[in-house]
Amino acid sequence: MESFIALGIALISAPLFPGIILKIKAFFAGKKGPPLLIKYYTLAKLLRKGSVYSTSTTFVFRMGPVVSCASAVMVLLFFPFAGTTPLFSFHGDVIVLFYILGVGRFFTIAAALDTASPFEGMGAAREAFFATLAEATIFVVLILFYRMNGSLSLAAYFSGSESISLAGPHGALLLLVIVSLFMTLLVENSRVPVDDPATHLELTMIHEVMILDHSGPDLALIEIGSFYKLFFYAAFIACLIKPPLLAGAVANTLLFYGLLIVVYVAIGITESITARLKMNLVPKYILTSFALSFFAIILTMELV
Amino acid sequence: MDILFTALSLILLGGALPLLAHHRFRFLKMLYITLLATGSLTGVYGLYAVWQHQAAAVSSWPWLHLFTLSFALDSLSTIFLLPVFLISPLIALYSYHYLEKPEASWRVAVNCFFFSLLIASMVLVTVAANMVTFALAWELMSLSSFFLVMYDYEKEETQAAGYLYLLFTQTGALCIFAAFGVIFTATGSLSFAQIGQLPHGLKLVVFFLTLAGFGSKAGVFPLHIWLPHAHPAAPSHVSALLSGVMIKMGIYGIFRMYLLLNDSTPIFPQTILVCGMLSGMLGVIYALSKRDIKRLLAYSSIENIGIILVGAGLGMLGVSSGNPTMAAFGFAGSLLHVLNHALFKSLLFMGAGAILHKTGTRLLDQLGGLMKTMPVTGRTFLAGSVAISGLPPLNGFISEFLIYYAGFQGLGLKGSAFLFSMFAIISMALIGGLASACFTKVVGIAFLGEPRSDKGRTAVECGPAMQVAMILLALTCLLIGLWPEPFIQVAFSGLRDMPPLATISPAILGVIPHNLALAARLFLGLLLVTLGLRFLLYRSKPIGQSSTWGCGFSQPTSRMQYTGTSYAMSMVAFHRPFVRVKTEYSVINTVFPRWAGYTNKVGDIAEIGLHRALIHPLLWGLGKLRWIQHGHIQLYIGYIIVTIAVLLLVV
Repeated sequence: MESFIALGIALISAPLFPGIILKIKAFFAGKKGPPLLIKYYTLAKLLRKGSVYSTSTTFVFRMGPVVSCASAVMVLLFFPFAGTTPLFSFHGDVIVLFYILGVGRFFTIAAALDTASPFEGMGAAREAFFATLAEATIFVVLILFYRMNGSLSLAAYFSGSESISLAGPHGALLLLVIVSLFMTLLVENSRVPVDDPATHLELTMIHEVMILDHSGPDLALIEIGSFYKLFFYAAFIACLIKPPLLAGAVANTLLFYGLLIVVYVAIGITESITARLKMNLVPKYILTSFALSFFAIILTMELV
Repeated sequence: MDILFTALSLILLGGALPLLAHHRFRFLKMLYITLLATGSLTGVYGLYAVWQHQAAAVSSWPWLHLFTLSFALDSLSTIFLLPVFLISPLIALYSYHYLEKPEASWRVAVNCFFFSLLIASMVLVTVAANMVTFALAWELMSLSSFFLVMYDYEKEETQAAGYLYLLFTQTGALCIFAAFGVIFTATGSLSFAQIGQLPHGLKLVVFFLTLAGFGSKAGVFPLHIWLPHAHPAAPSHVSALLSGVMIKMGIYGIFRMYLLLNDSTPIFPQTILVCGMLSGMLGVIYALSKRDIKRLLAYSSIENIGIILVGAGLGMLGVSSGNPTMAAFGFAGSLLHVLNHALFKSLLFMGAGAILHKTGTRLLDQLGGLMKTMPVTGRTFLAGSVAISGLPPLNGFISEFLIYYAGFQGLGLKGSAFLFSMFAIISMALIGGLASACFTKVVGIAFLGEPRSDKGRTAVECGPAMQVAMILLALTCLLIGLWPEPFIQVAFSGLRDMPPLATISPAILGVIPHNLALAARLFLGLLLVTLGLRFLLYRSKPIGQSSTWGCGFSQPTSRMQYTGTSYAMSMVAFHRPFVRVKTEYSVINTVFPRWAGYTNKVGDIAEIGLHRALIHPLLWGLGKLRWIQHGHIQLYIGYIIVTIAVLLLVV
């Protein structure tokens, strides 16, 4: 029962948090910014509309939003929010989940190439490239967690007695992992400095340009999928920061969501004070996050 | 074993009869497909009968009054025979509509003959139990596949490709026979059972020689050079058989040698892991850089052979470190990937063949929009691409998961074993990502978007026999992905007759197959729910059609789309020391330029290395000896007399 409630709260509240990022960016720019519930209004507006489809597209274009949304929801089904046991969990589910996110990416790229537009092809090529490097970083983090914990499931990482946290053994290594995962979050969810979600110059976009031709409920499905994906990555980092101190479901949930807001505020601050990287420097950025996690693994080897 | 031999004779009969009946074209093809299908089904039944007995079946026949041909069918052979018997009839069915020129009926009949001969020789390779049988079957396999590759023998490209293939296959056979020679001088017997008693140093020699020989057949880097030339030159159904089934015979040889040598030195797994990681990474990067669909698929085969070797290496590492779970999962993942790769690579080559058949071109940058005109080919090719990228809920993910599991088990080991396991996992992650990029490129550029040239505009759907074959393979990929438990059991049962792993019970699997099935079905369920949601959301909404947004430009052409080369360029250029990108660009620096040209070539470093290090010096050195061939027949007779004199007096 508890798992259903936790999942329900997560699914409903996920569109709230990107509003926080927009408020922080507006604050740094000296503006009032859009209301906190802006993403809910956007979803309602999109669901009211119909769609215009390009004559070049096939069923793959219509499947892209469905697969990306389904993959994002699937990832949340396995996540232990605030230390509760998730709905599903098994040994090895992290590998399955990151590959499910890969299926979502495959169909998003295919839908982008379906439109016969040069801009979408550009975004698809960049997305395919950067996502490959980010996958390597994620797997290095998984190797490190296996070394620390001996388990391969999200529930075993973040709930239960042997959960991974800053207070545990090898806790100091998590500082490197948190920085590395934060950089990967910025890559995978199209945030500055890798990609600017607010730009509308097709030549400078990665994710935004891939969904240029989607409209109406299709675009709403894509937006929800992106909210859930950002929620997953931010929750991952929030669980790493969380001290395993409090007992009691309500207190844990409040702490979890509080830390989640901290992570989103950090994303907002990063977006406001850094500039976007030149496109050919992004691989170096991703490899930096790879190197940080890899160094953390070397530190666990303890001079064999 | 008798059922298996009956199956073989049926298959050979199916190859011989079309030669007699080649005037009646459709009858020829139908006869061939029927006999081949019957033979294959008999073969599967024979495998099942032996598998039930839980013991290896043996048989032997005398030959030429001097040698014995002995055969043994154990669990490892059974696993490798499954792709042979399951996929060959589907490929034969595909060739019904692929080879459709009645005036070439004699050539088609010869093709059927060598096809049957190749299948029979592959069966014999897997059941061979002594060196004579193995050598016989191996040479038969190499020669019959050479004739199959040379189907279009008038084209110069095919001649060059066939010659290169013959060269590599004979050099590989040379290495294998050298290893057999070493074994024979050390043990004095021709049977396989004595190999385990060689001294340690000789075992290393034998291992590396056979790795070179079998590796060149399998397409391991850097001995893979023949693959990207032979596969495009051969007709598509032959490429499907070569890539899906024949190169696995090289993997079978490596496995068999490892089991016979029975040595748990760590050098074996480390070499195999390095070879596997190199082949996997470089194979997929070269695949990304290719413009020709079949060359791309050939390099992708090299990548999957790399994955199979990584799995085998992790298994061997488990054996040498004494970790039975790691050993079992590594080998089982490797064996399951052999079956999976046979399925989806044949599917992809069939799709490429359909494209070539109907559009007349293999170049990706001239195709586009084929999903609208060739819907069945497009959908099955999409299924094959998702499967080969190792994405759930299809079958490629199941075998890759087993290999990952073995890798993660290895993280608990100490020292160099930990390092190798870690690099294996990271390379698998990179290979998976790059494979996904490569196949979004193929599907996106060839099937989606708009046709980029006239070749793509006039395509129609391919013949029904081709469609049925592709649909069956795509459905099998989906089946294994959604219902993996029996297939994982089959892969684990293949380990039964392998001596280092005989003590491992299938209970080691635990709930893993059940969990994989759960995850795949859960994802499928979520997809259906989201599809239903989308249907409801679109119920009363206006839907319009228009042209793609081109940033205000009102006259877009199909040439403005991204091409495959541009899609892959940044990824390929990133790996620059391993990929030689040669760009020739005539720079425009006058006011009225006359012409401009841009060429971009990506070279394979193994091929470039072979040319620079071996071929050019050899040709230079031999060029210096040209004066021997002066054309005077009197001096040639003089050469012969001198040689005979030397041989009689000295030797």
